[in-house]
Formats: sequence, structure tokens, C-alpha cells
Amino acid sequence: MIILGFDALDFKMVKKFNCKNMMQLECGKTDITGFALERTVVLWASFLTGKNMENSIPVKGQWEFALPKNQTFFKFFDIIETIDVPAFSFRLGRHRKEHKLLAEFFENENKIEEFDKVVWGTHKDNKKDFIKVVKRACSNGELYRSTMVMGYFNLADAIGHLSFGDEKKMMKVYDELEKLTGLVKKITDKREEIILVVSDHGMKSVGRFGDHTKNGFYSFNKKLGVGTPKITDFFRIIKSFAEGS
Amino acid sequence: MMDNLDKLVEKSLFILREAKAQFKNPAVMWSTGKDSTTCLDLCRKAFFGKVPFPVLHIDTGYKFPEIYEFRDKVAKEWGLNLIIGKNEKALSEGMNPEKGRFDCCTQLKTDVLKNIIEENNFDAIIVSIRRDEHGIRAKERVVSPRDKDFKWDYKNQPAEMWDFFSSISKEASHVRIHAILHWTELDVWKYVQRKKLPVNPLYFAENGKRYRSLGCMPCTVPIESNANTIDKIVEELKTTRIAERSGRSQDKEKAYMMQKLRALGYM
Repeated sequence: MIILGFDALDFKMVKKFNCKNMMQLECGKTDITGFALERTVVLWASFLTGKNMENSIPVKGQWEFALPKNQTFFKFFDIIETIDVPAFSFRLGRHRKEHKLLAEFFENENKIEEFDKVVWGTHKDNKKDFIKVVKRACSNGELYRSTMVMGYFNLADAIGHLSFGDEKKMMKVYDELEKLTGLVKKITDKREEIILVVSDHGMKSVGRFGDHTKNGFYSFNKKLGVGTPKITDFFRIIKSFAEGS
Repeated sequence: MMDNLDKLVEKSLFILREAKAQFKNPAVMWSTGKDSTTCLDLCRKAFFGKVPFPVLHIDTGYKFPEIYEFRDKVAKEWGLNLIIGKNEKALSEGMNPEKGRFDCCTQLKTDVLKNIIEENNFDAIIVSIRRDEHGIRAKERVVSPRDKDFKWDYKNQPAEMWDFFSSISKEASHVRIHAILHWTELDVWKYVQRKKLPVNPLYFAENGKRYRSLGCMPCTVPIESNANTIDKIVEELKTTRIAERSGRSQDKEKAYMMQKLRALGYM
């Protein structure tokens, strides 16, 4: 199974930009109404554990928060490969600079271009690592029910926070994520892999900026009839795939 | 005996005279608002009734009609050497705030000012910002270097102890001179009141609303107020708890996002 975790991939924007690779056979909105704030780490932790983790993860130090494997759906797989997954294998060192530049933008009127450059750099690194892992899994014939590959990409979230009102820039971001999904599909072509594209939350414009919303997105390349699943429901769905039911 | 306002004026006059003495080609920005009009009057006071610098006005094409009327009237009365900058190309291509406020401000304000500075070789620009307007502005110095992209290196600012404002960065393409940085909004209005300066009518309340800070029409909203004279504005400011730039969309959005990103744990 392959999971493409796209931070802040917005349901409406995927439709607006007609991202056909991301809108797989079954797609829709996720339900995160049970959460007061759309916090990235909390939502991914809840996705991984099947439990609402809002009260378990304080804001301070949240990026350092990491779950043990046996509390997540990764425990149902023999082989797991994760790239930068928040609350599990988050590459804090790489994201620290983004957070620093984000703060500096607001506090010191720093240039947005520098921030964008760092975010795109992190994305490209993650993409390279993720594709390498997917290719390796495919070539080894590992990608069966016992193997899980999950990659996390924060491009839409990070760029969106400072530029969601800039449609051209966001179009470029969605185009990149669309191409990445297309590439994964191409690599796994003719295999029976389950591919899940999922986001933690959506995003809306606040002038030029972007704020988190409850418009999260998901899509499967299989028809499952899950409707509008809660983000915690994916635990059960993924478990059933792992168990072959 | 000098009162507080006299002391503020005296310091501003010193800054303006230093700017004239230390820089070859300074210019002064004028939005026509209360602060920059006050600054122009201080220039007149410092230099025997005449503004000795070119006066730069950035016309975004989206200003209130009252701003253009006020600008032309005062420019004529005070004999200003007015340079008006406008990005006609961007406007003809339809640039407006709906295309993104950031891009709009960059093209219609920042790029225009960059061009004017370059074309005229200005080495110092007198700008009427005040420390009490915004948290970011509170970090400013009186003499503030900018690179060619207008970047402000806040971590490497010159020290200004005992009112020595002479430090000039070698990397700076020009410096900003903040002659009324130490004033408050109330000080400005008290000066306007004392000197009976001309005031843009948008500042006066009509039907329970008035503009407290003037920007472009689509991005500025009035505040609730019944202050329809300078005296009433002065009284209102003594008790208000509403931020001066609360009517500016961009500032509101930025403040909101900063607060929200903190709540989400990004900063």
C-alpha cells in the first residue's frame, strides 16, 4: 500500500485545478469536524492511530512528538518505509528553517522568495527519497499487503500559508503534487497496489495568506464506498487492507 | 517653556536638517495623510518656509478622489516640487487588489518607488512612519539603510545612542530617514491642531464613520466614530483602544495570520 500524504491539499482546489491523478476512483472530503483546531501534527497523529489526539499533543513541542510503531497502523505491516511523516518520522531538522523563515516573514518583513525556495528544496528532497523507496519496493516485488510506503509533502501547506491568494503560485504547487501522484501511479502500473492520497486539512484564502480549513481531501484507486470518512476512520480501513479483508 | 510637542518638533527639525546636510540627494514621501503632511510642514519649518526636497507621491490609481484633490491643492499652495509615480503598465494590464493584495502592492507601490529612486539617484528618502503604528515599525531606527531590493536588515541596524544618526551602511542603496518616528498618532493630531494644518476631509466623521488611516479605496475601511473636527479627533484618541491601522485590510490579515500560525504551532 502507498500513501501520499499531502499537507493542506484542499478538496475544492483539487477539483478546481482538475487534478485527475489525485482524483482517483473514489474521492471526497474527509471529516475533521471533531477537532477544534486543524493542527497538522494532531491530524496526522490521529490518522495514524485512529484516535483523536488533540488533547494528547500540546502545541509547544508538537513537532518533536513521535508515536511508537505499535500505536499506529504501521504495526499491521511487515515492512514500512516512511518519509517525513509528522508524529512518526518527521524530519524536524529540515523543517526548522521553514518555521524560522515563516516567523521572520511576519516579524521582520523578510522576503517571501527565500521562504519559498527553502520549502521547494525540502519538497524536492522528500520527493527524491520517496520515489526511490517506491521504485525499490516495486523492483523487489515487496509491494504486497505486508508492505506500506508513506510519504509526506508539506508543499501546499507551507507555500499556501504565505501565498494562497496567489492563484498562479498555487496552481504550480497543485501541478507538482499532481505530477508526483502521476509518477507513483506510473511506477506501480499494472500492480494491484492500493494508493491513498490524503490530506490532513484544507485551506482558504485570507487575503494573500492561507488559513487551515476542514476541507481535507482523500482518494483511493479502489471503490470502497466510505463516503466522507473521519480522519480517524482510515486506521480501520488501512487495517482491513493489511489483513486482506 | 517648551512642552512635549515642542520637544518632538525640535528633534524632528534636527533630523531633517541632518538629512539635508549629510545626503546629496534626499527626497520626501508624501501620501497626503496626516503624518506625511505633518512631516512636510516640519520640512518647511526647518528650511525657512520651503520644502527643499523633491516630494514623491505614489499614485496606485486606486486612491480616494479626495486624496488627489487634497494633493493638488496643497502642492500648489506650498509650492512643492512634486514627483508623481504611477505604474501605468500594470494598471493597463488590469492589476488590482483582487489579483492578490501582495502582488498589487508590489507592482503599484514598491516597484514604482524603486524606479523613482533609481531614475533620480535619490540617496535618502524621508518617510513618515511612527514607532507606535505597528510592532514591526517599533524596531526601526531614525536612519535606516535599505538594499536595492528594499530589504531591511533589522538584525544589523546602526546604534543610535545620544541621537547620533550618522551611520550609513556601505551596502545600502539608499537610506530611509524617519523624521517623526518618535511621535505618536495623538502627537501628530495635536500638531495639526496647533498649526491648523490642512487635513484631508476623509479623516472627519460622516454618518458615524471616519477614516483613521488613508490607503487605497479597496483595502481601507472606515472606523466607527463621530469625530468630525480636529478637536474631537484629539479627544477621541485620548481614550480609544482601537489600533490606528485596524482599517487596513493587509495589516489585519497579516496580524490574523501571525496569531493563527502561532496557535497552530508554526511559530
